[in-house]
Amino acid sequence: MKDDLELIKKLQNQDSYALSKVYDLYSGALYGIILRMCKDEPLAQDLLQETFMKIWQKSHTYNPDKGKFFTWSYRIARNITLNSLRKKNVLIQNEDLSVYKDRSTSEAEKDTLELDGSLKKLEPHHQKALELVYFNGLTHREAHEEMDVPLGTFKSYIKQALKKLRESYKEELLVVWIIIEMMR
Amino acid sequence: MMDRNTIKDTGILEQYLLGELSEEQSTEVENILKKDKELREYFSKMEDDMEQMAFENAITPPTHIKTAILNEVENSNLVAKEKVIPSQKRKRVSYNFAIAASLAALFLLSSGWLYNQWKNTERTMITLQKETNDLQNRLVNLEDNYKETEKWYQAINKPEVVQLLLKGNEKSPNSAAIAYVNHQNKEVILNPKGLSKLKNDKTYQMWADVNGEMIDMGVISANQEMITMKYIENAASLNITIEPAGGNDHPTVEQLISNVYL
Repeated sequence: MKDDLELIKKLQNQDSYALSKVYDLYSGALYGIILRMCKDEPLAQDLLQETFMKIWQKSHTYNPDKGKFFTWSYRIARNITLNSLRKKNVLIQNEDLSVYKDRSTSEAEKDTLELDGSLKKLEPHHQKALELVYFNGLTHREAHEEMDVPLGTFKSYIKQALKKLRESYKEELLVVWIIIEMMR
Repeated sequence: MMDRNTIKDTGILEQYLLGELSEEQSTEVENILKKDKELREYFSKMEDDMEQMAFENAITPPTHIKTAILNEVENSNLVAKEKVIPSQKRKRVSYNFAIAASLAALFLLSSGWLYNQWKNTERTMITLQKETNDLQNRLVNLEDNYKETEKWYQAINKPEVVQLLLKGNEKSPNSAAIAYVNHQNKEVILNPKGLSKLKNDKTYQMWADVNGEMIDMGVISANQEMITMKYIENAASLNITIEPAGGNDHPTVEQLISNVYL
């Protein structure tokens, strides 16, 4: 998916209509991430709002040369969520600054927050690795502890997972392309 | 510095994408990506994949969130438009403007002052130059005067010089002239200052009486303090007559105003 640079330019010029469009495009994806990270719907809704306010206020700092708009927005959502969780957990965990230990997927929430799409086609350990860093906001260091594998192994999990993901996307594209070709 | 393969292997790009890196590390990765086109392509594929993964796992948030966000933006815009931002901007602008203006004023004042100083100095220089020129001229005049006076003084202040007073007769009773005669050097110097003023077409002329014959000693030009006259040998007397302007070959005896015997 290519970024709509014109839309982003308008957003950077503080066009609220552009913000509405950007929200329509990205809110679902970002909400999916925020909710999976905090597993708390009211909090996730507040954090989503905070995220979009920050996107609105900081849009001028986004530089398309450095990466995609979604990557930039994802980092904002992730930071806001992690900060909020850190504040919440500081009261509980004084000694250990890594606050994510109790945030790994618990069985009860699996139904609503279960991951979907190509990710599901991956092997379980690849899926888990991506889920931890991408959807749960764990750092590589925290995630490898969570999965109980050495850091190097964990990193190669991520790499392999992404590679597989890429391949599956290619297949999908091929299918789409064949369908399009058949319709012509 | 990391090379392309180490970057791919260390998983630092993934961490960069997720926003796990420190600001310093992020900047380093960004610099590497800027230089390495292939790595940049690799990274943007990774971004695409991550994005797709997020879209596949999107959860639609409740609609009231969007309304809340847009309301908040509108309100903050209104507030910003009405109060905060304009006043802040104006303040900052006027502050900057004040700095710029005062600097400009300072510059203007100091330039004005310097210009004034320069003009004053220039004026003083011109005055000084004029004064110096004046003084030089006066000095030259004084020197000339002094040389002149010294010359006459040297000429008349000698033991061998005879001083003769030529008093006017009844034709010019107020006239008087002094003649200095130096027989040794054969010089006659006359001070005609005491002679009465004549009309422009007349002049005094001096004559020497040698054996009853009047010999021209020269015209006495007006307005001079000292005149050198011709020295005539064996003169018995010195005589002054009034003649037509330019002088005469023979004296007009009727116009004799003074004579003295040697």
